[in-house]
Amino acid sequence: MASSLLWASRVASRLRISVSQRGFSSVVLKDLKYADSHEWVKIDGNKATFGITDHAQDHLGDVVYVELPDLGRPVSQGESFGAVESVKATSDINSPVSGTVVEVNEKLTESPGLVNTSPYEEGWIIKVELSDAGEAKNLMDSDKYSKFCEEEDVKH
Amino acid sequence: METLLHPVETLLSGLHHHHRTNAKRRRVFRSVKVLNSRNHENPRKCQCFDLYDQLVPYKKAWPWQKSIVEEKKALIDTNQDCADTVILLQHSPVYTMGTGSSEDYLNFDLKNAPFDVYRTERGGEVTYHGPGQLVMYPIINLRNHEMDLHWYLRMLEEIVIRVLSSSFSIKASRLDGLTGVWVGNQKVAAIGIRVSKWITYHGLALNVTTDLTPFNWIVPCGIRDRQVGSIKSLLKDREDGKVDDDLRLIDIAHESLLKEFSEVFQLQIEKQTVSDPNILKAKPFKRLEC
Repeated sequence: MASSLLWASRVASRLRISVSQRGFSSVVLKDLKYADSHEWVKIDGNKATFGITDHAQDHLGDVVYVELPDLGRPVSQGESFGAVESVKATSDINSPVSGTVVEVNEKLTESPGLVNTSPYEEGWIIKVELSDAGEAKNLMDSDKYSKFCEEEDVKH
Repeated sequence: METLLHPVETLLSGLHHHHRTNAKRRRVFRSVKVLNSRNHENPRKCQCFDLYDQLVPYKKAWPWQKSIVEEKKALIDTNQDCADTVILLQHSPVYTMGTGSSEDYLNFDLKNAPFDVYRTERGGEVTYHGPGQLVMYPIINLRNHEMDLHWYLRMLEEIVIRVLSSSFSIKASRLDGLTGVWVGNQKVAAIGIRVSKWITYHGLALNVTTDLTPFNWIVPCGIRDRQVGSIKSLLKDREDGKVDDDLRLIDIAHESLLKEFSEVFQLQIEKQTVSDPNILKAKPFKRLEC
């Protein structure tokens, strides 16, 4: 176990992801921001891409359906804009920041499993035009999010 | 979104997430941790709207559930504690579909459906609700229980398994990957839930004396090669074949459901009267010829 941990942390540092040595092992990317409801956001100027984190998809299990919002719809920080369904359970996806939906990942309609296999890339969910770039400061960075997940796991 | 919080098994699984197999996800819950012992002495209260002997139209019960969820979310948003709620009722005949349900599992034309069909926000495929089926909608704050949807689903199954065993001596089980409660090849209880900010809604439907014919017009839960059963049909199949009358079976199952719900979630049931006159207008349950 110890050697695999060591190996993994080396791989992780090369991949620019943070891994904890205390059992929390989901992938957390450095350059993203995170909401406490386990969504990630990548902010690029005035636009942002959202998805759910590796930690979230791992605990959900096989995603069988993703409910996507309509283009042009406003989304507000902390409010639900869509849903992911795993076996028999559907959960809200909350918006990490506010804005207007400018693109949805249509591929998820046919292949919802992309949320599991590639949560940070092919499994992105929506893109929005930001209405308040300052809101990002309410989000967690990767270190804080990793700690948050560990603490949440420890509670149970 | 809410997540299913089980410890992540291996570090490597997190890194090699492009190559996972379904096997890993099909976690089997043979033994289930039910209770937090800390709750034994001072159980939380759960308000209970008990309409088990009423036929409530789906189109009334559905917005009612959602309004309770909204009330609880508003309390949570202002950092207030909210008590759990459970609704028990029977529905008039209706088909309901889940968020991503496929119409391929309807064996009828939607324009010419035998009963109303609703597409809801719960998980799962199409199912039927009707007289003789006890429906339980727990609207509970998982923050006060376990913040884990898989745990919650297993607890709903646990309630039904205990009801069948303790009140009817029927040995039921879980089937790996097929949420619900099974007796042999027959599904006796269907489960489909929604969670919003850790507040659960929708729930479970237990066939007690349900006329099972309307299940033939759908592929229940999208599973083609298995059947649907009821407590009554299972009891009839026994050697002695002696079965109580329908109302008695419903009464026994209802009492047992509430008791097991209260024990599994460590909640103290407090019966409430329904304040919404629309819900009270539901027809009283009379013996239906089915």
